[in-house]
Amino acid sequence: MRRLNRDVYIAIVLLLLCGAFFAASFDIREIDYGILKPAAWPRMILVALTVLSLTYLVQSLCRGAPPDDAVPFSIKGVLGKYRNPLWCYALFLLFLLTLDYLGMLIGGVLFVFCLLTAIGGASRRNLIVHALIAIIMVGAMWALFTYGLGVIFPQGEIFTTL
Amino acid sequence: MLFDNIAAAFHELFVLKTIILMMVGVVAGLIAGGVPGFTIAMAVVLTLPFTFGMDAVQGLAVMMGVFVGGLSGGLMSGILTGIPGTPSSVATTFDGFPMARAGRPGFALGLGVWSSFFGGIISAVLLVTLAPQLARIGLEFQQWDYFALVVFALTITASLAGENLVKGLIAGALGLLVATVGEDEINGVARFHFGNEALKQGFGFLPVLIGLFAFSQLLSDLQDRVKARKSLSEGGGVAVRIEHRKAAAAVLKRWVNLLRSSLIGVFTGILPAAGSSISNILAYDQAKKASREPEKFGTGYEDGIIAPESANNATAGGALITMMALGIPGDIVTAVMLGALLIHDVIPSPTFITETPVLAYSLFLAFFLANFMMLALQSYTLRLFVLVTNVRMYILASVILAYCAIGVFALSNIAFDIWTLFWFGILGYLMRIFGFPLAPMILGVVLGRIAEQWLARALARSDDLSHFITSPWSLFFLVLAAFSVFFPKYQADRGKKIWTLVYPAIFMISLCVPAFMMGGAVRIGLGILLIAMGVHSLVKHHRNGWKVDPEARDAPQLREG
Repeated sequence: MRRLNRDVYIAIVLLLLCGAFFAASFDIREIDYGILKPAAWPRMILVALTVLSLTYLVQSLCRGAPPDDAVPFSIKGVLGKYRNPLWCYALFLLFLLTLDYLGMLIGGVLFVFCLLTAIGGASRRNLIVHALIAIIMVGAMWALFTYGLGVIFPQGEIFTTL
Repeated sequence: MLFDNIAAAFHELFVLKTIILMMVGVVAGLIAGGVPGFTIAMAVVLTLPFTFGMDAVQGLAVMMGVFVGGLSGGLMSGILTGIPGTPSSVATTFDGFPMARAGRPGFALGLGVWSSFFGGIISAVLLVTLAPQLARIGLEFQQWDYFALVVFALTITASLAGENLVKGLIAGALGLLVATVGEDEINGVARFHFGNEALKQGFGFLPVLIGLFAFSQLLSDLQDRVKARKSLSEGGGVAVRIEHRKAAAAVLKRWVNLLRSSLIGVFTGILPAAGSSISNILAYDQAKKASREPEKFGTGYEDGIIAPESANNATAGGALITMMALGIPGDIVTAVMLGALLIHDVIPSPTFITETPVLAYSLFLAFFLANFMMLALQSYTLRLFVLVTNVRMYILASVILAYCAIGVFALSNIAFDIWTLFWFGILGYLMRIFGFPLAPMILGVVLGRIAEQWLARALARSDDLSHFITSPWSLFFLVLAAFSVFFPKYQADRGKKIWTLVYPAIFMISLCVPAFMMGGAVRIGLGILLIAMGVHSLVKHHRNGWKVDPEARDAPQLREG
C-alpha cells in the first residue's frame, strides 16, 4: 500500500468506469442494418480509454508513493482546503432539489444569498449587502430571460400553494 | 461573386440591433478578459444562452464581439496590475507592467490596444482570403479523411494540453464517451441511459460545456478562502488615459515585428488546438530573438508589448479559418462557436462557405467590425474594468454561478440540464484538481458525434479499412496525429537526448508520402522540399557528430493553458 499514490486510485476508478460502460454497451439494442452498429463506436472509445487508463495505472505505480513531506490525507484537511467549493456544491444541490418547490426566482435568490453568506461571512452589514445583491442580480437575470427572451422558468409550487 | 456575398452580408450584419448587441458583446468580452480567473472561453460560453433567441448571424456576431473583446481585455489587467487577465496576455505583462510602473501606463495600454487592433485586422484579411482557399482543399476530403482529421485534432489537443499526454488523451476519450450517451444520430438507438428517461436524449452540449469549463473555473477561483474575499483591484488597478496617437505611431513604426507576430498568431490559430496562450509566448520569443536590443525585453520595451498583443488577436482569425473552412475547432472558443452553429442548424464543413455564403461572410465582416469596436470601446471599458475589479471575487463568482443555472435552463427549458451542469461542474473541478486538461475533453464532446458520423459514412461507402491509409489526406492527418502523440516527449527531451535531433527530419520525410500520393505539381514539389529539408537536417546533425544543442532547452514550450 505504501507504493500507492493518488493517480493509482484515479486510474482504478477510470478502469471501473470502463468496465461499467462496457457492461452497459451490451444493453444497447442491436440492429440488423448499417455497417457501424450503435454499440461499435462507444466500444472503440472504451477500448482506447481502457488502454489509456492501464497505461496511466502503470505510470502511476512506477512513480511510487508520494514523498514523505507530502501532507497526509485527512478528512478535516480536505474539508478545510475545499471548504468554499464544497459550500458551492452543497448549496447548488439544495437549489436543484428545491427547484420544483421554490421555483427559479426564489430558489436562485436564496442560493446566491446563502452562498455569499457562507463564503463572505455573516456580519449584519454583510447580510444586508448579500441580500441586496442576491435580489437585484438574480431578479435582473430572471426578468431579462423571462421578459426579454421569453423563457418560462419553473414558477415553484410555493407560488401555486400561496 | 465575392462582392455580392460581402454586400449581402453587409446588409445582414449592419442592422442597428445587431450592432448594439455586438458592442455589448465587445464590452462584456473586454471586461471578462480583463478579470483574472475569467477566461475568454468562459465569457463566450456564458454568452451562448443569450444567443438562442437570435438568428445565426446575430448570435454569432455577438459571440465574435465577446471573443475579440476578450482577447484585448486581458491586456488591461496585465499592464495595470501585472496579473494577466487571460493566458493569452501572459507575455504582455513581461514588458507592459514594467512600462506602467515606470510611469507610462497610458502608452503601454495604447501599444497593447493598437497592436491588438492591427493584429486583428491582419488576421481578418487573411481569414477572408485563406478560408475560402482552405475550404476548396477541404472539398477534396473523403469520409476517411474527415475521420482522420478529427483524430488528429484530438491527439494534438491532448499533446498541447499539459505535461502528461496520457491524461490529455484520457480526457479526450472521456469527451468522446460523453458524446455517445443518448440517442445515436445514425440509427436512432438510445445508448448508456441506465434506465433514466432523461439520459435517453443525451447530455445537452451547453450544460456540459458550462459545467466542465465555467462552473469548475469559478470554484477554482473560490478555492482560496483569503483570495475569494479580496477584490481584484488590490493589485493596484487604476484608470488611466490611453495615449492613442503616440502608441499607434509607435506600433506602425515597428511594422516588421507587428507583421511577424500577427502571422505567428494566425498560423498558430490555424493549427487545431493551439490557441492564443501559445501564440503570445511564441511571438514574444521570436521578437526577442529578432531584436537588435534583446536585453531591453522585460524592462518595459515597446516590442515586448506589440508582439504578444498582435499575435493573440491574430490567433482568433487563424482559429476561425480552420473552423469555417474545415468544420474543426481551432481552440475551445471556436469549439463553442461550432456548437453555436450546430444549435442554429448550420453544420460547418468545407461546403459551409459556398453553401451559406451570407452567414460565412457575415462572420468575416463581424470579425472586422469587432476589432474596430474593440479599439473604440477600450478607453471607456477601462473605467468599467476598474469598477468591476473593486468587486470581491466571491460576489462575482456566486452571481455568475446563478447565471449559469438560469442560462442553462434557458437552453431547452428542462431542469435536467441544470443537473447536467452540476455533475459536469463536479467532474470539471475534479479534473482540474487531478491535473487532467479540460480542452481535449471539450473537443471530444464537440467532435464525438461528428467523428462517429464520418466513420459511419466511410464504412457505409466501403468496409475496407485500408482506405484510411491509401487516402492521401487521411494518411496525412494520421501521420500528423502519430507525430503529435510524441510531441510532448520531444519538447521535454529537446536539447537533452539524441532522438530529438531525428524527430523533425523523420516528421518531414513522413509527410512527403501523402504529398506525393496527392499528385499535382505543387504538392509533389512540396513533397520534394520536405524530403530535402529532412535530409538536410539529418546530414547537418551527422556532420556535427549528433551533438545535442543545450540552447534548445530554452526554446518556448508549446503548451496551451
